[in-house]
Amino acid sequence: MLGFLRFRGHGHHMVTWCVLRSSIQASLPPLQHTHLTQTAHLCVRAAPPSGLSRLRPPAGQRDPTLLRDHLTVQRRSQHAPYSQGPTQQGPKPGTATAKFRLQTRLAVTVLFGAGILGTWWYVRKEKQDKLQRQRIEQLRKVAIGQGDFSLLDHTGQRRTKRDFLGSWSLLYFGFTHCPDICPEELDKLTSVVTILDEDASLPRVQPLFFTVDPERDDVAAMQKYVKDFHPRLIGLTGTPDEIKLAGRDYRVYASAGPKDEDGDYIVDHTILIYLVNPDGLFLDYYNRMKDDKQIAESIRNHMKNFVRLFTD
Amino acid sequence: MSAPTREERRTCWGARDELWKCLDVNQDNAESCKKFHEEFEKQCPAQWVKYFAKRRDFLKYKEKLQTEGFEPAEGVPSS
Repeated sequence: MLGFLRFRGHGHHMVTWCVLRSSIQASLPPLQHTHLTQTAHLCVRAAPPSGLSRLRPPAGQRDPTLLRDHLTVQRRSQHAPYSQGPTQQGPKPGTATAKFRLQTRLAVTVLFGAGILGTWWYVRKEKQDKLQRQRIEQLRKVAIGQGDFSLLDHTGQRRTKRDFLGSWSLLYFGFTHCPDICPEELDKLTSVVTILDEDASLPRVQPLFFTVDPERDDVAAMQKYVKDFHPRLIGLTGTPDEIKLAGRDYRVYASAGPKDEDGDYIVDHTILIYLVNPDGLFLDYYNRMKDDKQIAESIRNHMKNFVRLFTD
Repeated sequence: MSAPTREERRTCWGARDELWKCLDVNQDNAESCKKFHEEFEKQCPAQWVKYFAKRRDFLKYKEKLQTEGFEPAEGVPSS
């Protein structure tokens, strides 16, 4: 970029540049390796050319030897940039000591900063680990206590939540006298399980059908009902109290309507399919708007992200 | 009485669909679809007949809202 300054007739630019340069360097701390030092060779040769005497540097800077000495020191230091203390050849020991002190200061600052950063990072990590341990402990408590039930399945065998730990479950609450919604939802559930069964790399999902109408839906009624759907579907029934307890943690709403002359009635209830993971934690729910493919996809994602809480 | 089996459900739904098709054609004129209505009542439990009647009303109402728009009720502040 300074190449153009070499052209003949532009000598006065050289002088101006060198004056500028030396005044800048006088104000800078020594040995800043800027491109200013690289132009040192230009200024040492730049005695004002003849015929341009009127453009000589101002009086205070006219002595070229002063200029030259100052610049020579710079150049010599340039060749031995990291020499310190007594090995320094220049006539200015102050420069060398100053440089040493600067480097020491820099080193100390960097080490100190690294120390602070390291400590902060360590403390933060400790805190995060502690929070993680607490969270796992809470999740374990919830997994054990939540949605615990003790009911009879459609073969008359007693089943509790513990029996289904270790595998993924899909829960649906309904009743056998349901006109259209429960059969549709159970068909959807059957389809979801079938889709997931087709993928051999995924664990088998256990579909569960809980009745919200324990007065009519006894074991025999449940058995008659569930055989119309997926072969693995298990129907669960029990006393009204047992049923209420089973649905409580899933906030299942159920309300029997008025009985007609046949003694028949419709039970109004929440229409949701609940996903429970192998630890017994309720993870997700699906309403009427989700079709079987969307539900299967969601379950697949949950399975991929699953991390076991209990090691037994 | 025990719950309808899969086959019974299907028969009931079929009768219901026939009735609703007739009503759609006849602009909900119950008189013209009397035969379908009888068949429907035969195939389905009484509770289901009532339920499906209400369901039809609801579906019609929903359709009306979607096609004709609606006036929000007065005095109801928007939350």
